[in-house]
Amino acid sequence: MSEPVSGELPTDRAASSFPTGQLLSKYGLLGFLVANALVVSVLSPAFLKPENIANVLTQAAPLGIVVLGQTFVLLVGGVDLSVASVMATSAVIATGFAATDNRMVPVIFAAAIGLGLVVGLVNGFLVAKRNVSPFLATLATTIVLQGLRFLYTQGSTGSTLPSAFALMGAGRFIGVPVNLIALVVLAAIFGFVLLVSKYGRKIYLVGNNVRGAILVGLPTDRIIIGCYALCSVIAAIAGLFLVGYVGQVDQWTGKGYELDSIVAAVMGGVAITGGRGNVFGALLGVVVLVVMFNAVILLGLPVQVQLILKGVIVIAASAFYLSGSWERT
Amino acid sequence: MSAVTSDPPRTAARQAIRQMPVSLLVVLGLIVLLLAIGVIASPRFASLNNFRNIFQQSAALGFVSLGQTIVVLTGGIDLSVGAMISLTSNFTSGWIDGDPNMVVPVVVGVIALGAAIGCVNGALSHYLRVHPLIVTLGMAAILQGCTLLYSLAPVGKVTDDFEAFAYGRIFGLSYGGLAMLALFALVGVFLHRTRTGNAIYVVGGDARGARLLGISVAWTMMLAYAMSGACAALTAVYLVSRMGSGDPWRGDGFDLASITPVVVGGTALSGGRGGPLGTLLGVYLISLLNNILNFMDVSTFYQWIVQGLIIITAVAIHVEKGRRA
Repeated sequence: MSEPVSGELPTDRAASSFPTGQLLSKYGLLGFLVANALVVSVLSPAFLKPENIANVLTQAAPLGIVVLGQTFVLLVGGVDLSVASVMATSAVIATGFAATDNRMVPVIFAAAIGLGLVVGLVNGFLVAKRNVSPFLATLATTIVLQGLRFLYTQGSTGSTLPSAFALMGAGRFIGVPVNLIALVVLAAIFGFVLLVSKYGRKIYLVGNNVRGAILVGLPTDRIIIGCYALCSVIAAIAGLFLVGYVGQVDQWTGKGYELDSIVAAVMGGVAITGGRGNVFGALLGVVVLVVMFNAVILLGLPVQVQLILKGVIVIAASAFYLSGSWERT
Repeated sequence: MSAVTSDPPRTAARQAIRQMPVSLLVVLGLIVLLLAIGVIASPRFASLNNFRNIFQQSAALGFVSLGQTIVVLTGGIDLSVGAMISLTSNFTSGWIDGDPNMVVPVVVGVIALGAAIGCVNGALSHYLRVHPLIVTLGMAAILQGCTLLYSLAPVGKVTDDFEAFAYGRIFGLSYGGLAMLALFALVGVFLHRTRTGNAIYVVGGDARGARLLGISVAWTMMLAYAMSGACAALTAVYLVSRMGSGDPWRGDGFDLASITPVVVGGTALSGGRGGPLGTLLGVYLISLLNNILNFMDVSTFYQWIVQGLIIITAVAIHVEKGRRA
């Protein structure tokens, strides 16, 4: 990394003496979350009720699932705008079977995963092989997918789903939301892949230094394509959980999740330029986001305040973490 | 060769501008192709009236894409234009509220507001070192929240005269479309002929180099985002004039829609390459495409598919070298 012209980098200051900056950037968001939760629980006793917490987490789980995949793409220096369109399309496919039998659930999952795989491979191909900017590649697949989805449904969506979907989306297992369990399992798998497996280390290497990765002989293209494929597949699965929660399909299931997933990941310390952060930080970002949203409701503030807070927090958090940092060459 | 040393920012910018023609020719070729398809597809397509309509309809996309172009040239992106349009459109009709005396102050006011908010975008991105994607995304959320706090539904009304901006015509050409063309010309001259305009290219091509050349990156960034904000507000004014009132969701979708003509017109998302002329052609290409698909009775669904494919094709043609962000 070359020397920046202006020596006034926040990182320089942080490195100088006691690692306050390091500690802050490691536990700052957690501290913020705890402080936030404390204040809200004092102001509104309803906040800490198990029922409220379970509800909040049920609502947060689909976003959490999407964030797992988005993190992988961000880590290789990309961004995936197509996740929301993938979610909606997978939800539309789910109702497309018009199935009421729970034995159809695996088929629906297979179809959704197939869809995610195709979209992810196209995204990855465009980015890795054709050198298209990830923003544009995934924007284009978003629009194409949107057109295909509307063509398929001709504008009207079905609402028949096997009963298992309601359980998946909003059910409880010994008091714990089912979709939260799914999120935890997936997060464990993704966390393992990222932090323990060899593949994970390769992802960081590609994200930090593509040229270096090529020089040491890594199949960078394949790694990048793999991350996009993983992201779209997981988004397709998240779409199924979300439709289970909402209970009905419209053409825009998951709208806004593309941006919220980026926001949550960046808040959780995943660098938008790649190579820094992990899935657990990103999930912490999701929790902070939903706790804030919940606080706004519990404190009786207008719902619109959620949007304003989201905007302020994402800018503040990424300035603080330098995760949204913009290394200009 | 002495010219090289005399005025480095200008030379660097010239170089960037010189790379344009090939991509412009491609877009022009596509437009000609579309015209041919249009003529074949429908006998009503090639009428003067239809072209006047396309000219009129392209105005909104044109204004907002022009601002986006300036920001993209600095290597940034402005995803707050949609929310900006929603906010300022509601302010425009809400504040005018049928009072002719309010038209001028309100229009000037909302455009200044757009510029001010854009300026904040640029400043935040530069001083906090946060990627413009995140800053403008956050700003979009803030602005949409403010819009909905102001009103959850369309509010206010405009005067009859105000609607002339969208519907008034001179020699059959709409004021809005003409205003858009004039603004493109103005911004084109600004970018290519003034030092400040050239600085935008230089900052986008190489921010560190720009600083060494004595260009204030902070000032250039704030100016670029302010112009984008002002353009978004102008889009809102135009849309209010066309629809008769603002709407808290008026700008929905414009963030991404405004980027399409920019990249189709050959402006690189990595900054420093391209310009308003390409975007103008991009705007006409998209408007023409939608018009033809309407004539062919093709549903919006196909229009989306075609639009997505056009982005992919265009980007594949103007290959972005070595950048992945």
